[in-house]
Amino acid sequence: MSWVTRGVGMALGTWTALAAGHVEAASLTKAQTDFFEANVRPVLARHCYKCHSRDSEKVKGNLLLDTRQGVLRGGETGPAIVPGNPETSLLIKAVRYTDPDLQMPPKGEKLDPAQIASLESWVRMGAPDPREDTASTSAGQGKTDREHWAFQPVKATRPPEVQMREWVANPIDAFILQRLEEKGMKPSPPTDKRTLIRRATFDLAGLPPTPEEVQAFLKDDSTNAYAKVVDRLLKSPRYGERWGRYWLDVARYSDTKGEVRRRLEDVRYPFAWTYRDYVIQSLNNDTPYNQFIIEQIAADKLPSAKTDPTRLAAMGFLTLGNHFNNNRNDIINDRIDVVTKGFLGLTVTCARCHDHMFDPIPTQDYYSLHGIFASSEEPEFEPLLTQPKGNNAEYQDYFAQRSKLAAEQQAMETQYRQLKGTSPAVRKVRRELQNKQTQTLSQIAKLDLNHPGSPPRAMAMQDRAKPADSRVFVRGEADNKGDVAPRRFLEVLSGPRRSEFHNGSGRLELAHAIADPRNPMTARVIVNRVWQHHFGQGFVSTPDDLGTQSEPPSHAGLIDYLAAELVAKGWSLKQLHRQIMLSNTYRQSSAANPRYSQIDPNNRLLWRAHVRRLDFEALRDSILAIGGRLDLTMYGQPAELEREPYSTRRSVYGYIDRNKIPEVMNHFDFANPDMPTGKRYETIVPQQALFLMNSPLVVEQAKSLVHRPQFDALTEDDSRVEWLYERVVQRPPRPEELALGLTFVADFAEPDQDAVGTEVATDSKEKRKEGRRKPGSGRRKPLTAWEEYAHALFQTSEVSFVH
Amino acid sequence: MGPTLERLPGHGPRLEDYFLTRRQWLCRAGMGFGALGLASILGEDFFSGTLQAAPVSPLAPKPTHFPAKAKQVVHIFAQGAPSHVDTWDPKPALARYDGKSIPGMNGVAMASPFQFQKKGRSGIEVSEVFPKLGDMVDELAIIRSMHTDIPAHDVATVFMNTGSLRISKPSLGSWVVYGLGTENQNMPGFISLRPGGNPTGGSQNWQSSFLPGVYQGVSVNTTNTKVEQLIQNIRNPYFPLREQRRQLDLVHQLNEMHSQTLQKEAQLEARLEAFEMAFKMQTEATDAFDLAKEPSETRELYGNSKQAQQLIIARRLIERGVRFVQVWAGGWDHHNDLEDQLPRRAGEIDQPLAAFIKDLKQRRLLDTTLVVWGGEFGRKPVKDQNGNDNPGRDHNNRAFSTVLAGGGARHGITYGETDEFGGAAVRNKVHVHDLHATILALLGFDHEKLTYRYNGRDFRLTNVAGTVVKGVMA
Repeated sequence: MSWVTRGVGMALGTWTALAAGHVEAASLTKAQTDFFEANVRPVLARHCYKCHSRDSEKVKGNLLLDTRQGVLRGGETGPAIVPGNPETSLLIKAVRYTDPDLQMPPKGEKLDPAQIASLESWVRMGAPDPREDTASTSAGQGKTDREHWAFQPVKATRPPEVQMREWVANPIDAFILQRLEEKGMKPSPPTDKRTLIRRATFDLAGLPPTPEEVQAFLKDDSTNAYAKVVDRLLKSPRYGERWGRYWLDVARYSDTKGEVRRRLEDVRYPFAWTYRDYVIQSLNNDTPYNQFIIEQIAADKLPSAKTDPTRLAAMGFLTLGNHFNNNRNDIINDRIDVVTKGFLGLTVTCARCHDHMFDPIPTQDYYSLHGIFASSEEPEFEPLLTQPKGNNAEYQDYFAQRSKLAAEQQAMETQYRQLKGTSPAVRKVRRELQNKQTQTLSQIAKLDLNHPGSPPRAMAMQDRAKPADSRVFVRGEADNKGDVAPRRFLEVLSGPRRSEFHNGSGRLELAHAIADPRNPMTARVIVNRVWQHHFGQGFVSTPDDLGTQSEPPSHAGLIDYLAAELVAKGWSLKQLHRQIMLSNTYRQSSAANPRYSQIDPNNRLLWRAHVRRLDFEALRDSILAIGGRLDLTMYGQPAELEREPYSTRRSVYGYIDRNKIPEVMNHFDFANPDMPTGKRYETIVPQQALFLMNSPLVVEQAKSLVHRPQFDALTEDDSRVEWLYERVVQRPPRPEELALGLTFVADFAEPDQDAVGTEVATDSKEKRKEGRRKPGSGRRKPLTAWEEYAHALFQTSEVSFVH
Repeated sequence: MGPTLERLPGHGPRLEDYFLTRRQWLCRAGMGFGALGLASILGEDFFSGTLQAAPVSPLAPKPTHFPAKAKQVVHIFAQGAPSHVDTWDPKPALARYDGKSIPGMNGVAMASPFQFQKKGRSGIEVSEVFPKLGDMVDELAIIRSMHTDIPAHDVATVFMNTGSLRISKPSLGSWVVYGLGTENQNMPGFISLRPGGNPTGGSQNWQSSFLPGVYQGVSVNTTNTKVEQLIQNIRNPYFPLREQRRQLDLVHQLNEMHSQTLQKEAQLEARLEAFEMAFKMQTEATDAFDLAKEPSETRELYGNSKQAQQLIIARRLIERGVRFVQVWAGGWDHHNDLEDQLPRRAGEIDQPLAAFIKDLKQRRLLDTTLVVWGGEFGRKPVKDQNGNDNPGRDHNNRAFSTVLAGGGARHGITYGETDEFGGAAVRNKVHVHDLHATILALLGFDHEKLTYRYNGRDFRLTNVAGTVVKGVMA
């Protein structure tokens, strides 16, 4: 099973079918590479590779044209080309068809004149060729890989000079403007106040602003009115819930273990939620990001954990991954993956079986980290976060039930171990015991998870009694041991003379090496993540991989400027948000500009604000908020989101089973909890529409909205439509929208009872049925005109998008 | 609130921008977003001066480059990498070398624990793990010389489905529906069935990527049996369809105004298509996914398993004109205990797939439906060295088998060969790009010409490679 995840590290764009990073090819300019890719490779691939490549069934003339080396080495008749000199190059001679004995491609399939001309130009240019002979690739050890921008120290860049200085509200704008001006572009005008407060509130709180918040902002004419909104939002506890969820994606958060041996352990993590709460709390407290890193890797080694055991919950970051049927090396691999992708933006797990193919990460470095995690373990009992009070009745009840179940489990385990032999009778007993044990473990886990008296515990780690270095597993095979890999940090980030770790497992030293301000990746990676969630895409579009296979950053100077600022301002993420949101860049309108769309279709240069689809959490939470039913209770044991009666708590508190993600969340591209996810996919599929059209969760919120006393108090239809618009899309209706609404309500025909079905429930019946009804089944009381109209508004694009 | 009137000098649109926008808008408003893609298939001229043309849905059936043999595709994805030397590619040499080292290979040979038998009129040898499929061998074209680039599940799985090792390229099914449209306008053109949670690679495997969102695969978890659970929220419990139509028309009108202010964002257009499709699915999909409507004989033929359930649904979808059905049938990652585990996995698909092919044939759908079964790579002829007593096989990207049936594929043949031990494909090698090129060719497309312009470049499924394997085409 160990192979199952070995490739996970490569999933996100680190492979390419075309050129791989390597020594000489990296010295090519982009124009040279582009020329080759556009004009040369397609011709060679299409017309020559059939007989002259490593994949050819039979290589003709011993000539390989699919690597640079092959072209230069040539075949039986000598080198195929002489760089710089088309006239003496055999390849050119052959494609020109001038020599009757040397005509390629054969059988009269002569190339087009344009193709021949391209090949001639290419040779004249010196035959720049990014292709590499894979056999000779020295697996990521090349010098040029180390010159990759992200491995260089963060440069304290000064904001560049720009022409349109009046647009620069803070240094961010100077960097953005510089790139726009290079292309002869100008930024978009600022968006209007309503759009701005909606954008800012969704960004920081994951919810729409209330009508009162919108009104207050519209009325506030002071110069810092907007800054006050941003500060209010940053102080709101909703902030930690919104941004905590982003971090939980990276932390591959789940309340279950995936693959387990069910006789020995239950599939649930009863205390994963204490990690979720740690994340939300830390973000709300603006815990310095370096401390946030260190606590998640090694809180147990910090003096503060002695006085404040709640810190220990931070280590859920390491421990709540998939259990892989207790395959220890897969669990370690998962921990290396989450630490290196999450904090460093590096796909270190690619080096599990061989040196990283693209980044300068040798297998030995992987096993240096392996040793650290192999020297760490979960304590037998998760440490208590708070001491339960012995006289608390709920706790006593919990304790009594749990002790009884634990004793039963213990007795069965003893009995199981005493069973000998394979006779059918013994096998039957064994099977029965297994089933009973699985059930008992499940009951214990449910008790731990759900019982109100179950005291919270930390999913902590501790050092093993005898920490030890691991040896390299040759080709990733556990029983094929190579050299010892001393526990220490990655060479590419800390130099060849880095020191070895000696403090226990080395986790604390690892944490410090990651959080070291001199580490070139750490600050850049978090700045890129934060930027991405504000703008829809990061400077680097692959947030979990800033290695050599990632695209160069859209604004190299700015990512460094912000990274340096982050460190200088004590790693405060809230300061970073504030700086970003107060820029004019952030406040631009999202209006399209067809000419700019031609120049920069993906808006990489940020000439406008992106139009973004809300993720599942923000959509569900806002629908509940608009309906007036959102339960803002924070923290604690997870809530059941999928079944009726629906929990109305924020989605971040929902129970996540990594083996069974609710379908509706899958349809909205929820992050896969089996791998760190810095960026979710953004698909648009019919099931998303069905959710909004038909789900009782949505319809009930629309009903709730028009049953509020404020709505009932309005007697004019016009004011009712306006009231609904202010709540659903945070703006008044335009005249034509108002007219459409009035017509819709006026045209409403009382539902024909027969058409709806015979099971029409009265109000009281409805309520009694509510608890046991499965989604989608059975008929419900038909909607009134206003209910149906409110429900229509919930389905409009504007509700699902921020712009 | 519309965009503010405040403008910075020089930022405002130019006259020609309005012209372009309006023209594009008319074009899209009339024909839906996918019309742009259609233009690139038929050639730009086809659309010049077509502003008065009748509206064309992006899912409307479209002409092919040349006459097609297949019209629909069912791709059964055996994720996890099935061992070819234990299923479709017999290697007697492994028995002779069992436990001994093989020249040029690490580790020791592992003989297949399974017997191969000559089957059918064609006499092709098939492993005993596929008794019923073996009986159907005269319907099959078995490619024994498949190879791929990377032996890691997630990368290779996405590669098999998108032809790309990097993220975000459209999947095979999206390309097919983009090229062909679909026969049933009330159903998605591309449906992906999975027996549980998301497979490795998740929605990348059925994504439309830069192709318009309407070509995205619709993913359905088939573990449930009731239609309301198969397609959640498929029915509105509050009001009849007629009333919902009225409501949706209002939503569309409001969306159209909203979309105008954002000048027709692609995402917003995709959303509009998704709502229309959702509405139509409420009638058509409830029927298509309602297995209660199948007679009991069907269950007898297919069996009573997860894969039976999936393939019955697949057949119902094919009957209703769905263009491309992807069926996840994974669990083939047998590093250990292959002797016990592999037959179990094979047993899950053997009867249902044999039944499916028979069923399609009886309904005269097999000739026009290409059925593809295969994984993302194969396995090594040697024992996995993870050091346990019940051996299995490790990953091998240099050789595996893929099986075709119907849809213009040849009948009762094998194609290509691996070496003596099954370690690598050696004769008539078929790369993933070649398989893709061949599937498109059977559907009537030149894979080099089925392109989509994105970011200033013409993209295609097969990148810059791919050769049609004529040897498997009838």
